[in-house]
Amino acid sequence: MTNAMKPAEARKALAEMERRQDQVIEGTLVPNWYWWAVALLSVGLGVGVDTRDPTATAVAAGIFAVGVSVLTVWIAFGGRRHVKVHQRLLGSRGAGLIVGFVWLVVGGTLGLAYVLEAANVEYAATLSTLACAIALVVGGPALMRRLRGIMRRQAGGG
Amino acid sequence: MVTPRFDELIHARTRLSIVALLGAADWAEFRFIRESLGISDSVLSKQLTLLENAGYVKIRKAFVGKRPRTWVKLSPTGRVAFEGHVRKLQEIALQGGTSLARDDGTTITADPPGPPERSTASSPGGDARA
Repeated sequence: MTNAMKPAEARKALAEMERRQDQVIEGTLVPNWYWWAVALLSVGLGVGVDTRDPTATAVAAGIFAVGVSVLTVWIAFGGRRHVKVHQRLLGSRGAGLIVGFVWLVVGGTLGLAYVLEAANVEYAATLSTLACAIALVVGGPALMRRLRGIMRRQAGGG
Repeated sequence: MVTPRFDELIHARTRLSIVALLGAADWAEFRFIRESLGISDSVLSKQLTLLENAGYVKIRKAFVGKRPRTWVKLSPTGRVAFEGHVRKLQEIALQGGTSLARDDGTTITADPPGPPERSTASSPGGDARA
């Protein structure tokens, strides 16, 4: 029994494999709207804190906590959770990037808020959460692009 | 390092897509695979049964609430076979044709290296995309 495997056929099969791997990777990445939603919730929290009214602050904090939790749990485990990317694809570098981004945004926001507050800047919380929102809206999709690149390279490595 | 090995079970078009998809995943839901590939329940079930019988995939069924859900993952055997198959395809794409030794002892004839096509396709993440 004989047959021929042409290079073009092999390349076509490899391209098909890559397309399917991309579907898994895309199914894992956080969509852009998530960053916008968390950014809006953050600014809402900042505005609530700047009212200096305990009730408004508590309500804003509650909405922020519940909103971010629900969104994050839904993204991680809920309706989108139909596939889990192989851990080899993300690797320690990808995981490190995610943790680093979270720490940078949270730490940066808190740090900026304290600095502005210490400098007696008006609306320190609103300004710092605005900076946080910009970091999320710009940095979130950038992080996803970076993770996509890492996972594609890892997938290509077989 | 995985040994390059052509796997005819995997190479069939639909199974190639299924295994490639599972190769990038820890696990995937039946529904995700079906929708990603745009195939019917029955076609996917048939192909998964073949792969399961070969020991290439593991299938787990359970109820989430009242809904039956099915999860599929590559077995360690399936992952080795998949990675070996990818390596073999990469070799062929790089070398411009090669001979393939089959399990039944027959040979797949080599393509003579013809005029250089695109010879830089070294991985699924490389030029094979084009």
